[in-house]
Amino acid sequence: MNKLSKYYELSASADVQEFYHSRGWTDGFPIVPPTPDAVAACLDWVNMSADELIGIEPVRERPVIAEKLAINAVMAGCLPVHFPAVVTAWSAMLKPEFLLHGATASTGGCAILVILNGPVRKEIAARSDFNVLGSSDRATSVIGRAIRLALINLLEVSPGAIDRSTLGHPGKISYCIAEDEEGTQWQSVAETRDIPGDVSAVTVFAAGAPRQIMNEWTTKPEEILDTYAAEMRANMRNYSIWSGNYVVVIPKQHRDHLQSAGWSKSDVAEYLYRTARIKRGEWSSVGKGSVVRGKGDLEYTALPSPDHLLVVAAGGPAGGFGVIIPPWLGTKSLAVTVAIGACVDCAPPGNA
Amino acid sequence: MTIRVLNPTSEANPQEIKPAVRLTTLRGKTVGFISNGKEGTAGFFAHLDRLLRERYEVANVVLHMKSNYSAPAEQSIIDEVKNWDLAITGLGD
Repeated sequence: MNKLSKYYELSASADVQEFYHSRGWTDGFPIVPPTPDAVAACLDWVNMSADELIGIEPVRERPVIAEKLAINAVMAGCLPVHFPAVVTAWSAMLKPEFLLHGATASTGGCAILVILNGPVRKEIAARSDFNVLGSSDRATSVIGRAIRLALINLLEVSPGAIDRSTLGHPGKISYCIAEDEEGTQWQSVAETRDIPGDVSAVTVFAAGAPRQIMNEWTTKPEEILDTYAAEMRANMRNYSIWSGNYVVVIPKQHRDHLQSAGWSKSDVAEYLYRTARIKRGEWSSVGKGSVVRGKGDLEYTALPSPDHLLVVAAGGPAGGFGVIIPPWLGTKSLAVTVAIGACVDCAPPGNA
Repeated sequence: MTIRVLNPTSEANPQEIKPAVRLTTLRGKTVGFISNGKEGTAGFFAHLDRLLRERYEVANVVLHMKSNYSAPAEQSIIDEVKNWDLAITGLGD
């Protein structure tokens, strides 16, 4: 039985839906009724008490506790096995360097991209191949949705309230991917960020919408990556020139060419660091000449350094496509990686 | 048959904030601006500065700019607010 949250006795499933919708507690889709038993099962899975503090949103000093996250996770469709990823994502989002308040309030309209690494991907049956940035599977869909529902309900990140996005993008519904670690020789994103390979981890990133590229007409690493770099430069010209973390999602077809040529993730990052650059004067070609201000020869890099690039191996097996995912606002918000602390390979309490 | 469901919101009671005493006049007062530093703020605050001095006979206008327009103002700016009679924080895009 929950100890903290107010409860309601409602007479039917339809009543539950209208009760929650009418109070602004949903994202517009139907929710799973957050019953005390379902919420308790999530808390049991992570061995957390209802009032355990996950973190404090630093700007508005709002505490986030486990029971409230569990309620929103259940509403999103999460099973207990999904809950460790939700808790860990939130603990990462609440780090000061993530600047959660700015990222969720900004007119820029970014969404929180969640990248899953390690054994947890298999535990929750997350997919990393077909339609990886869409609704590729149950686990990533509900984990991403849980992030958003908790933002709405715990920090008032509703459109027009804290969320002042001019446009937003569809990733705000759910934006969670699992890396295809079995389909690559590369280190995982988490490993490149100092998490051991056998440890599950979550990376969060204040992310713009994905920008898809295509190049099926070469096998040379440099030429493949030139297309990714061109899209990063386009983002710098057309959206924001400020350098920060970028994500590139590289599906198998491109990955095979890169790996066959012996390119590692750090080689990819080094190449894109060198090539994804523009001169401030290029703003003139996209209607922003008024802010060049005599500094047209000043060069800007998309990445402050190569290690700001997060290379994700994911996507379906065929197609010379790839994606760049730009940062919300340069280095104002940094990607954060946190290891999942709960033992996701353990049997749930009572089944041991 | 009924179903018991839980409240998903923080249920926290917002801390009550007592508004500052309202000014009856701006004449001779010190007004502080906290700008978010965006492009559009330069013209906006410059115009407001003129307006306050010329029309309302404000004695001093102090402008401070945040280093990160999406983060709270630095403590050094907050510390100075006590020296002002009125603070105006503005968003400019």
